[in-house]
Amino acid sequence: MASTSSSTTPAAAEVEERGRKRKRADGAGSTAAGGAEAQPSKWRTRREHEIYSSKLLEAIRLVRAGSSSSSGSGATRGRAVREAADRALAVAARGRTHWSRAILASRRRRFQAVRRARLRAPATPPSRHNAAASAAATGQGSSAPPLAEKARMLGWLVPGCRRLSFPTLLEETTDYIEALQMQVRTMAALAEALSAISANSSSGGAGSSNSSAA
Amino acid sequence: MSSRRSRSRQSGSSRITEEQISELVSKLQDLLPEARLQSNARVPSARVLQETCNYIRSLHQEVDDLSVRLSELLETSDMSSAQVAIIRSLLM
Repeated sequence: MASTSSSTTPAAAEVEERGRKRKRADGAGSTAAGGAEAQPSKWRTRREHEIYSSKLLEAIRLVRAGSSSSSGSGATRGRAVREAADRALAVAARGRTHWSRAILASRRRRFQAVRRARLRAPATPPSRHNAAASAAATGQGSSAPPLAEKARMLGWLVPGCRRLSFPTLLEETTDYIEALQMQVRTMAALAEALSAISANSSSGGAGSSNSSAA
Repeated sequence: MSSRRSRSRQSGSSRITEEQISELVSKLQDLLPEARLQSNARVPSARVLQETCNYIRSLHQEVDDLSVRLSELLETSDMSSAQVAIIRSLLM
């Protein structure tokens, strides 16, 4: 094989990793996972990073425009930013994964749930028990009980993946983790950029050195 | 190998083989940042799943912290079009 890159070390050196991972994804995509997924590491390409950065920026501007009128605590605004970031991430997934569809669907559901909050009790705790009971009844023949427990926990953490079969759940988790890693990278870069800009604009002509970039 | 196939067939309509699952688990394991777990030895799947849960929780926490930080930064900056252009050039 001409392309090297034996072991995948995430976040080692992003500049080299970008080009290398893109080549790996294009060239060796068929050998990994039997060609089921088109690009296993599509979350690591520079292009996805750029696309997500633009979407994130737009979404955050919308959040800011929306919240400038209403005053809220830091936690509520942080949650709005988090939800915008998650939605942008789900859109970037192009609807091919369960978790992305669940994120986009849950937003609509939450609007309706807020309206019907008085009429119906929140469905999340009961549905957890139902899912556990039904899954135990059907019996995942391929995984032992302690594994089923861990798989259950994993299904809770990944949005919209509570009732999936075990292999599908693992695939969703893999994609979700890579997407989350990209989300963290992008948001951190955005925060650094914003803090650098605000430091620049605040220290107009004073002698304070802008060493805010840690 | 035939025993594995027959066992999975007996357990129901799901044709999930152990190899398939262990391959997926090892792929998941490669994503985890834990240096001591990285594909050196055969780590039991339960351990990998446990570490995955912890890792996802920590990633969620990190995203939450970054969201709070971003919301605070948004308060202070006025996001003029010039600033947005600068941010774009910094990110790309």
